Amino acid sequence: MTQDRDHSENDIALAGEYALHLLDAESRLAFETRLAQDTALQQLVREWDEDFVSFSEGFAPVTPPARMKSQIDARLFGPEKSGFSLQGLFGRRFAYLAFASLAALAIIAGPVVFNTATAPEYVAEIAGEDRSLVVAAAYDQETAELSINRTAGAAIAGRSLELWLIAEGATAPVSLGVLSDAQLATVIIPEDLRDLMLGGTLAISDEPIGGSPTGAPTGAVLAAGEIISS
Amino acid sequence: MTSIADIENMIVRTGLGDRAAFSDLYNATSAKLFGVCLRVLNNRAEAEDALQDVFVKIWQKASGYAVNGYSPMTWLITVARNLSIDRLRARKAPAKTIDEAHDLADSSPTPEMAMVQKSERAQIDGCLDELDQGHAMAVRGAYLDGETYQDLADRAGVPINTMRTWLRRSLVKLKDCLSR
Repeated sequence: MTQDRDHSENDIALAGEYALHLLDAESRLAFETRLAQDTALQQLVREWDEDFVSFSEGFAPVTPPARMKSQIDARLFGPEKSGFSLQGLFGRRFAYLAFASLAALAIIAGPVVFNTATAPEYVAEIAGEDRSLVVAAAYDQETAELSINRTAGAAIAGRSLELWLIAEGATAPVSLGVLSDAQLATVIIPEDLRDLMLGGTLAISDEPIGGSPTGAPTGAVLAAGEIISS
Repeated sequence: MTSIADIENMIVRTGLGDRAAFSDLYNATSAKLFGVCLRVLNNRAEAEDALQDVFVKIWQKASGYAVNGYSPMTWLITVARNLSIDRLRARKAPAKTIDEAHDLADSSPTPEMAMVQKSERAQIDGCLDELDQGHAMAVRGAYLDGETYQDLADRAGVPINTMRTWLRRSLVKLKDCLSR
């Protein structure tokens, strides 16, 4: 028996133990670390999950209590509020939403002076349909600074507003960071995104404190606007 | 009647942040997933908490669904089972009393349930039949009741390392049979 075969039998058993939840906490964590970067291992686990799932086919469905869905919505989306959703924006533009890399950007709060000698070249008004949230944005190509001026609206209590760039023809929205409570802020746009600003759309979504945990928008899109040449 | 393709579509749209699709997905699958949580946890209040976690996780992870290669119900059921077992393990973490051990052991399926299971599990059951009966029981106990190696070893009256060796060998044999 070759080394390879031993290795794969070990992994077959290990993946099965993982799928059955038989590994102790330490082994499980070690396995998950490997799993994150080993597609062959991911496939083994997936095969086991598909094999074992037939055990659950006989589990009787039980209707959960009616209050359950609103409790889940409250956990995910915060208290019920009126307002509109621009969710379709993401849906229309992206057939496949891949894992978006979460650009962990600090947003520097501070005074921003608009309309100075070096007038920004690109501007956007990021607004909701009912204008309950309005943010003016101006992008200076030379300094790669996006200046933000939130003129109406704020994050709801216990939630954050997250800013996203949806580049034209891009595969996924990219986070530009979480907006601070300050009215004015400046975001330095990362180098790989700078050429994507013009024609792109800036959008603001409602997220858990600190921003989306997934790297993709998880809450309602509260405002959006296209970046145009000024 | 909601088809598998419908469910898949709902998951993908949920991944795009579509709340209406998320509600449709909840309506179509929550009873099945609650059944999974109840079966693993055997406790209604805990199963309700688990089901909330399940749908929060589905909302958060749905954007990765398209690339993970899972069939839709397997993905949903696996999320439900994994989160329920996490809860089960957290419950069992403190030194467990004999009473608790009894509670957990008492979760055999009703005759009606057992019949449905039997009719729909032909392939994996066929392969489990090729294993030593005690080993097959251990695989079922691990999946159906979320039993740990310790539970399985206690039940079979063997040391934990013996149970681990049995089960790992059984998994390799089972895999071989299932891929035939």
